[in-house]
Amino acid sequence: MQEDFHYYATYCAAFIAGYSHKESLDIAYSAQFVDVCSRTLLSKIKGPGNAATTQLQLELMDARTDPVGLQDITRIWSSFHFLPKDLFAEKKKCSRRYRNKYRLICGPNGDLVVKTVELAKGKPIQSVGIAMHVLADTWAHANFAGTPSLVINNTNYVFYELIPEGDGFKERQIKFVHKKSVPDDLDNSVYTNSLYQSNENSIMNLGHGRAGHLPDYSFVRYKYLPAWGEYGEITKDNPSDYMKAFTQMIYAMKYIRGINQSFEIDKYDTEAISQWKERIQGIIEKRQLLASEDWKAFGEELSGQVIEDFAIDKYFNEYVSANKKDKDETYLGKFIRGAIAHKGMVIDEIGKSGNKLAGVARGSFLNRFFRGNQK
Amino acid sequence: MTIFQRIRNILIGLIMILIGLIFLINPSDEAYILVIGVLFLGLTIKGIKDIIFYITMARHMVGGKIILFQGVVLLDFALLTGSLSNVPKIYILLYLVLINGFAGIVEVLRALESKKEVDGPWKMKFSHGIVNFILALSCLIFIRHNNTALIIYSIGLIYSAIMRIINSFRRTTFILIE
Repeated sequence: MQEDFHYYATYCAAFIAGYSHKESLDIAYSAQFVDVCSRTLLSKIKGPGNAATTQLQLELMDARTDPVGLQDITRIWSSFHFLPKDLFAEKKKCSRRYRNKYRLICGPNGDLVVKTVELAKGKPIQSVGIAMHVLADTWAHANFAGTPSLVINNTNYVFYELIPEGDGFKERQIKFVHKKSVPDDLDNSVYTNSLYQSNENSIMNLGHGRAGHLPDYSFVRYKYLPAWGEYGEITKDNPSDYMKAFTQMIYAMKYIRGINQSFEIDKYDTEAISQWKERIQGIIEKRQLLASEDWKAFGEELSGQVIEDFAIDKYFNEYVSANKKDKDETYLGKFIRGAIAHKGMVIDEIGKSGNKLAGVARGSFLNRFFRGNQK
Repeated sequence: MTIFQRIRNILIGLIMILIGLIFLINPSDEAYILVIGVLFLGLTIKGIKDIIFYITMARHMVGGKIILFQGVVLLDFALLTGSLSNVPKIYILLYLVLINGFAGIVEVLRALESKKEVDGPWKMKFSHGIVNFILALSCLIFIRHNNTALIIYSIGLIYSAIMRIINSFRRTTFILIE
């Protein structure tokens, strides 16, 4: 998912869930900040490196792919962008090494989503934004794993876009190119993807790189053969999934605000959007590279307020100029604590399932967070 | 490509240049044995690695059998290479030339496959394969003139090494996941 959904659509969902304009903006900022909070950024603002929620292209190019390096990559990408659906998923007659990777395949409505939302309840608003980013990505990034793996994340030439035509769909084979400088050609289904690398742990095989940005476009429907799927075809219906992501975010935020008593999987607050359903559907299904303008206009209509554009450095000064003891109370300080707590929770759960791919969570992750909250 | 992979490719390229130069400067029997030894070791390690990777991981992957075939073929080549220590030089040269030609054909086929699947870096791969194949063919034509064939083979080896080093410096497309 891109800025259109993580920032503007999250703002809309938060506002519909009952948050004020200011609170919704803060939630949206935090949700989008997950995509930019790299070690490089943290080092610039002198924040702790273990709070990184993403890795820049250059950081990944330099990343080690030995077991320790892989754990570092997996910790970040599995926690924030490819939350595993089922840490105890079974696959017959496979090695433990394969099974550990297989179990990291991302998908919606898993136990970890529930834990993610529950962890954000009662926490600062930054944690809500982080949880919404993670929840939304479980829909967009489904069927890919947040760890480099050829045998899980690879795709091949069996890749078709389903274009609405009449009452049905026509199939058009997708052509992948490796030219990042050229934008995706929606009219001819020409998309950029990452290079095929036969090395299992190549960073080219991380997440949905081999499927390009297709999972990030809300309008697209496509079918393909996932590497792990034993030659079973998967049809990915992004418009339907993005609608579910949006209504599940509202449901989750209503739980966090105390309106709903519990957060259960496979529940969506469709009632809350009934009066705007067609409008939202229209934005989601519009063929465009970025839907920010449409979501922004919708959000401004909802709240009657101007939604400022996402400015990465909005809270930098506040954090950098704060005293060491006051940093935790700044906007970014709370984001950092929320990110560390969430990462710690996910690593802990992956570790408890007997899977060592994400390493072991340092006790200090959770302890620091809880100690901080007791202050 | 990570920095480690780039460094590894550059090192392999440098070793290939070194072997090419040894052949050009001092084409002795020991040089042949050295090349055969390096080739045998490299192919064995890669072949066994591929087969183990297939058994433990890739057999569950769509299209994973290609990795098994690759491993078996490489191991086969390795065993054949290892058995060449006591045969006349001309056969060793013939074998090296055939391997080069075969690699050229594979490179061309992979480039064509890349072109079909993606519109990416297929041209360089294609021209590399064609040049490799032409050099192998030239070696075959001059196979009775041992020294000429050896010079052509060495030039081919150095050319491949330079291409590998150039590739190590190329930018690789990476999809930024958001």
